[in-house]
Amino acid sequence: MEDGLSTPVGTRRSFFVKSTVFISSLIGISLAVPLIGYVIAPALQRRNKEWVSLGKTEALPIGEPKAMDYTMTEKDGWQESHTTKGVWAVKQSNGEVTVFSPICPHLGCGYRWDQQDRLFKCPCHGSVYDINGTVKAGPAPRPLDTLPSKIENGDLLVQYEEYKSGLAKKVEL
Amino acid sequence: MASRLYQWIDQRLKLKPLEQTLLDEPIPGGASWNYVFGSATLFLFVLQALTGMFLMVYYVPATDHAYDTVQYIQHEVWGGWFIRGMHHWGASAVMVAIGLHMLQVFFDGAYKRPRELMWIVGVILLAIMLAFGFTGYLLPWDQNAYWATQVGINMVGNVPLIGDFLVKALRGGETLGALTISRFFAIHVAFLPVLIAVGIMLHLFILRRVGPAGPHDETRAKAGSETFYPRQVFLDAVVMLGVFGVVALLAISMEFPLADRADPSDHSFVPVPEWYFLFFYQLLKYAPGAWGPLATWLLPMLFFTGLLLLPFVDRNPDRNPSSRPIVLGTGLGFLILVSLRDLYAVPKRDPSVVRGMALVEHFNCKTCHRIHGEGVNVGPDLSFVADRRPDREWHLQHFKDPQSVSPGSFMPKFPLNEKQLNDLTNYILTLKSG
Repeated sequence: MEDGLSTPVGTRRSFFVKSTVFISSLIGISLAVPLIGYVIAPALQRRNKEWVSLGKTEALPIGEPKAMDYTMTEKDGWQESHTTKGVWAVKQSNGEVTVFSPICPHLGCGYRWDQQDRLFKCPCHGSVYDINGTVKAGPAPRPLDTLPSKIENGDLLVQYEEYKSGLAKKVEL
Repeated sequence: MASRLYQWIDQRLKLKPLEQTLLDEPIPGGASWNYVFGSATLFLFVLQALTGMFLMVYYVPATDHAYDTVQYIQHEVWGGWFIRGMHHWGASAVMVAIGLHMLQVFFDGAYKRPRELMWIVGVILLAIMLAFGFTGYLLPWDQNAYWATQVGINMVGNVPLIGDFLVKALRGGETLGALTISRFFAIHVAFLPVLIAVGIMLHLFILRRVGPAGPHDETRAKAGSETFYPRQVFLDAVVMLGVFGVVALLAISMEFPLADRADPSDHSFVPVPEWYFLFFYQLLKYAPGAWGPLATWLLPMLFFTGLLLLPFVDRNPDRNPSSRPIVLGTGLGFLILVSLRDLYAVPKRDPSVVRGMALVEHFNCKTCHRIHGEGVNVGPDLSFVADRRPDREWHLQHFKDPQSVSPGSFMPKFPLNEKQLNDLTNYILTLKSG
C-alpha cells in the first residue's frame, strides 16, 4: 500500500466483500426472475382451442364427404387474425359426423376427394385413404386425423387441431 | 473452482494489475455516503437499459401497433406491467439521482479545477438523459404521449430562424405521426444509448485520471485515503439495493396505466408532462405572446450555458461551502424558484370532473347536445355553457328538474343521485372558453 492509503482487513474486509456479493445477488435474482419469465411466458402458453360451429348437420349428405369452412380467430400475441381452414365432414347413416383434418398425416400436404374412385387422394406422395380415413395405399403412416367434434342443437361444432406429420401415432402439435 | 478458473484466465490475460487499478483507487478522506450518488445514477441507468431492452421484445414502434403492443405488455405478458413500471419509475429515479449527484458536486465545489471537464461531460449527460425522457414519452402512443410531444415539439418552433425547420426535422414532416414515432424510437433505443455510453465512459475516464475530489474539509482530506474496494463498493451496493427497492415498490404499488389511444382529432385532451419537464411546461404560462420564445428556448439555453460555464465563472479555488456564499446562494435561489408550488399547479383533472364527463357518456347526453364538435344539436350546444351560465345552483336545479328553471324545455329528468349531480355540475362548469 502507498503511504496514507488504508484498506479494511480481516473480518471487517470479508464482511464488506460478502455483503456486497449478497446484495448484488439479491438484486440480480429479483431482476432475473421477472425478466426471464417475461420473455418465456408466451412460449409456455397453450393455444386456446374453441368450439366453432360449421353449420347444421341436416344439410350434410349421408355417406358423402363434404368440404366445410372452419373460420377461427387466432390470437397472435397482440394481434388477432381470422383464418379459414377447409375440413372434411362425413355424415354416417346413424347421423353421427366424422370430421377429418385437411392435412395429410404423411408430410402435411392437402389431400382431396376423388368422386369417381370414392377415395381421398394426396397429390404429393400418393397416399390414398377410404371414406373412413383408413390408409389404402401410399406411404401414409396412419389413418386420416379426425378432429374433435360434437353436435349441439343440430349444429356441427369442431375444434381445430394440428398433429405432427410422419408418425404412426396421432400426436398433437 | 471459480478461483481456479480466475487464475487460469489471469495467467493469460494478466488481470491482476487491472484489478488493482480498478479496485484500489484511493478515495481521499476515506469512503463515504457522500459519494454514492454517482454510482446510484449509473446503476439506475443500467436498470433503464435493461428494462428498456426487455420492453423492446414486444414493443412495435408504429402508429397502428405501438399502443396495442404496450397494452399487451401491460396486461397480457407475464410480469410485463412490472418491467414497464420499473422503466417508468426508473426514469424518474434517474433524474432524482442526477439531481442529487449534481447538488453534492455543487455543494462540495467538486466541479472546480482540475475537474472542469468532468463537470462539463456531466452536464452533457444530463442533457442526454432529458432527451431520453422526451423521446421515450411518445412511444406508448396514448393521448398523453401524443399531446405532450406535440406541445414539446411546438416549443422548439420558437427558436428564431431555424425553428420551423427543426420542428419538421423532429416530426419527420408536417405532422406528428408514423415518421415521428419511428425516429423517436430510433433516437431513444439506438442513438442516445451510444451517445450516453460514450459520455459515461468519458466521465469515468476523467474521474480516474483526475481522481475523486474528496472532502472539502482540508483536515479530513489530509487524514489519508482509503481504497475504493471494498468499503466504498459496499456503501454503493447498499444504496443500489435501496434504490432498486424503491423503484420496484413504486412499480408494484403505483401502476402506470395508459391513457386512451392517441387521437389527433381530440383537441380537448390536456397533456401533462413528466415532473422533470413540469417546471418548464408551467413556465410557458408566465410567458405570454412575444415572451414565449424567452421561456421556450432562451431560458433553457441560459440554464445549460450557465451550468457549462460554472467552473469558469466560479474560479475561487476554495471548496469550503462556508466561504462560497454567492455561488451557493445563487444555487439555492434557483432551487427555490423551481420548487415554487405555484409553478406546479398543473391542470390535473379534478376526479369529480372526470366522473361528470363519464356521466355525460353514460346518459348519452350527446344524442341531444353538442360538446366541442361531438354530438347532435337538438338541445343547446354545451361547448361553452359555463360562459353563459356560470351559476352552480342553476345547473344543480336544472339537472334535478329541468322545467323548473327552464320552462318549456324538453330535456328529460335523469335519475341522478346527489354525488352524480355534483360531478355532472362540476364538469358542466368547466365548459367555458379560455
